[in-house]
Amino acid sequence: MSQTHVGPDRGSTTSIPRWVKVFGTIALVLVLLFVILHLTGRGLGGHTPPSSVTEHGVQQP
Amino acid sequence: MTMTPRLRKFALTAHVTSSVGWLGAVAGFLALAVAGLTSQDAQMVRAAYLAMELTASVVIVPLSLASLLTGLVQSLGTKWGLFRHYWILVKLLITILATIVLLLHMQPTSLLAGVAAERTLSSADLHGLRIQLVADAGAALLVLLVATTLAVYKPRGMTPYGRRKQHEQRTMSQP
Repeated sequence: MSQTHVGPDRGSTTSIPRWVKVFGTIALVLVLLFVILHLTGRGLGGHTPPSSVTEHGVQQP
Repeated sequence: MTMTPRLRKFALTAHVTSSVGWLGAVAGFLALAVAGLTSQDAQMVRAAYLAMELTASVVIVPLSLASLLTGLVQSLGTKWGLFRHYWILVKLLITILATIVLLLHMQPTSLLAGVAAERTLSSADLHGLRIQLVADAGAALLVLLVATTLAVYKPRGMTPYGRRKQHEQRTMSQP
């Protein structure tokens, strides 16, 4: 008889599931990449604008 | 502490509504970020960045906090628990991380809206920041899709804490 698991009483394996290991590895790589990009200043853009841009309106009388 | 069925359904409705609403609002935010970056219409660009700030502060941030709060209530108030299943733990981490990153990225959104309110933006103005907002919104959408998928599929796997609790409950229920 097949039974659909809908409640919390499921998944009683003793080791860490493969999907958690794969997920954790991908997350770790992405976080490291994000941190490295921000630390080296090679990100897509900072949170503060470059001075030339903020002064754009001032430079053009 | 276990909620009554009626309260549990109310909490679940609130959690699903806020979480899916958050996802939809981020999709709208992404559309505005793309329009702000690529549109040739100066008024459209200004309107996009003004709308982005409004959407983020009035819709996205409240929904993200509501999703986190209702998720905590939902897990702690039912037998699922917060630290018993890997999928719930991963979803919690995703939600906390996404909320923190969202709050941190309110500054560039407000900055762009402030500039857009004052003058017309040329395609070179704050270009890196505008690309970053598109990338961030795309990443946020992807992360929220992962969280939604986890909530629907509920992949198997109990944490050591969850297994211990399950063992304790089985021991207690046996005569």
